[in-house]
Amino acid sequence: MSEVAVKEKEPLFSKKNKKLITDPLNDTNPVTIQVLGICSALAVTVKMDAALVMSMAVLAVLIIGNVIVSLMRNMIPGKIRIIVQLVVVAALVIIVDQVLKAFVYDVSKQLSVFVGLIITNCIIMGRLEAFALANKPWASALDGLGNGIGYGVILVVVAFFKELFGSGTLLGYEIFGNATDMTGLYAMGYENNGMMLLPPSSLVLVAIYIWIQKSRNPSLQEGH
Amino acid sequence: MAINKESNVYTVVFATLMVVIVGGLLAFVSSSLKPIQEDNVRNEKKQLILKAIGSEETKSITREDAGEQFKKYVVERLILDYEGNIIEGTRLTNETPVDIKSAKDAFAVDLKKEYKKFVQPLTNKYAGTDLVDELTKETNIHYPLFICEVNDKKHYVIPVMGKGLWAGVWGYIGLESDARTISGAVFDHKSETPGLGAEISKDFFSDQFIEKTIVDESGKYTPIKVVKPGTGVTQPYVDGISGGTFTSVGVDEMMNRTLAVYHKFFQREEGRQLLTNI
Amino acid sequence: MDLLKLFIKAAFVENMVFTFFFGMCSYLAVSKTVKTGVGLGAAVIFVLGVTVPVNYLLETYVLKEGALVWLGAEYAEMDLSFLSFIMFIAVIASIVQLVEMLVEKFSPALYGALGIFLPLIAVNCAILGGSLFMQERQFENIGEASVYGLGSGFGWFIAIVLIAAIREKIRYSHVPAPLRGVGMAFILTGLMGLAFLGFMGFEL
Repeated sequence: MSEVAVKEKEPLFSKKNKKLITDPLNDTNPVTIQVLGICSALAVTVKMDAALVMSMAVLAVLIIGNVIVSLMRNMIPGKIRIIVQLVVVAALVIIVDQVLKAFVYDVSKQLSVFVGLIITNCIIMGRLEAFALANKPWASALDGLGNGIGYGVILVVVAFFKELFGSGTLLGYEIFGNATDMTGLYAMGYENNGMMLLPPSSLVLVAIYIWIQKSRNPSLQEGH
Repeated sequence: MAINKESNVYTVVFATLMVVIVGGLLAFVSSSLKPIQEDNVRNEKKQLILKAIGSEETKSITREDAGEQFKKYVVERLILDYEGNIIEGTRLTNETPVDIKSAKDAFAVDLKKEYKKFVQPLTNKYAGTDLVDELTKETNIHYPLFICEVNDKKHYVIPVMGKGLWAGVWGYIGLESDARTISGAVFDHKSETPGLGAEISKDFFSDQFIEKTIVDESGKYTPIKVVKPGTGVTQPYVDGISGGTFTSVGVDEMMNRTLAVYHKFFQREEGRQLLTNI
Repeated sequence: MDLLKLFIKAAFVENMVFTFFFGMCSYLAVSKTVKTGVGLGAAVIFVLGVTVPVNYLLETYVLKEGALVWLGAEYAEMDLSFLSFIMFIAVIASIVQLVEMLVEKFSPALYGALGIFLPLIAVNCAILGGSLFMQERQFENIGEASVYGLGSGFGWFIAIVLIAAIREKIRYSHVPAPLRGVGMAFILTGLMGLAFLGFMGFEL
């Protein structure tokens, strides 16, 4: 009897569940290994603050969307599952945006830029399709948390280098001195790298991240 | 399982239910929150107009206070047509409260609609001198003007609207009492790329416009160019946003197109009267 | 002539992949061989070519403020534009589902190769991006909207075929092991993106 009870009630943070959170941070990182959510990773990484806001928004939508779809997983007809998932995500994002617009206008101004990018972020759809449709709500929530953080880490790392070398600032604070007044490093002839502001440089930065990640863990390497 | 999930009947019923629930929910949320949202938007517009005056006093007004303070600073408002004539009955002083439903109230002019209805189809189709001709034919475009007074000095605030990379970009340009020199500018956008085009809303960009003039020595209208950083041009210019080319081009286009109309107004009798009437 | 200009502009000057970096997920994942690349590229052309005009009709006759005026004068004030995101997405998703069913039926081999990425076309930002750009640009008629949709689709097709061809060749080069596959594709796309920046100044 007791054994059955244990089986039925898995501890909230069992080893398997913990893996749901830790795996996406490294071995199954949504951006570098699963290759999902690249568009937004390129679009919002020029500044650290934008990257942070975007990561938070995706994290929230991913967790809530995963839970909702997981709760509905036994009701959704297979034929129209994509439409259902998209509608859930889009409705969720629009409602949140509308509520923010009414009550915290300043936050909503920050976020409304990302609304379109969140709805079409393939991480969200990818996880709904690959995980939430087949798993229980709690596990789905953890999966959402893990993948959201894994995504955020990449965004923040890329944004760190892009903002530092592209604008000479971090979160808006001047690190290398002021470029227009020629103070700090700029007085010695240092110049910001304009290419760092353009989207192609994020591709190269992500590639370097992949390089480091895969050389530390050769099992992830792809053959020819 | 009692119900066959894959049957067509189930699919159709599920889809209908979902559409009804989601549609209802969205419509409910959107309509019940609309008044509060509109209030926020209106107050923000007031705040931006006051900020564009460029005076220290009006710069620091918060959005919540802008609703009240607007009356104090904006002494007169009127609407122009494309030729720079005042449209009849649109000259209102601050004694008339703002009425967003009235077609005669300059504050009620929704630039986004003006832009979408007439200007955007035209700018899409024509360019350069053709565009100017085509716009002249279009008599139904409204151009609001806000006449402000700070410390007994007049300022003119001009709204501008155009398109960036993703969606609309807009701004308010404040002119000194001579209607030639820019005293302040603010820009905003709907959804430009963060860190690139979105930078136009930052002070470092808009402050570049301050003290630039929109006419040359001979009194001819010379638009201010928004150029790639580092390119020298002879006209007055400001540096665009690197990596935000489309947005910078949008700012350039809307300033160029709109300020020309107001310049025409200040050349006319009515406009000149306004200037001498300090 | 204007339509041709619009097509070239949409395909090259405003290339979905290299100028806006749209639709990168499926672009990187399905570009291992030219064959699958061509398959997905064709699917994208088709989906963009259909969804942009359909959404154009939706926008003009349902969503835009005053669009419902054909129902009667009392509807002139209706503004349903807050629904545009969800409506566009719904149209796209239905058409993608349709394509998925067709491909499964007529070309099971391609269906197997495209795998999870066919459903993911629905969230391919290039597709939604096409519709949103269409909404922003206010095309005059449905012809322009269709040409724009086909043009952007063609641009995306070129991009994926180009990278797939390079990736097939690069298999014979000595790429450092950790960079093989996705890593190298990232760098290549970055370089190609820089090259396409050259189209930016084109006035058509």
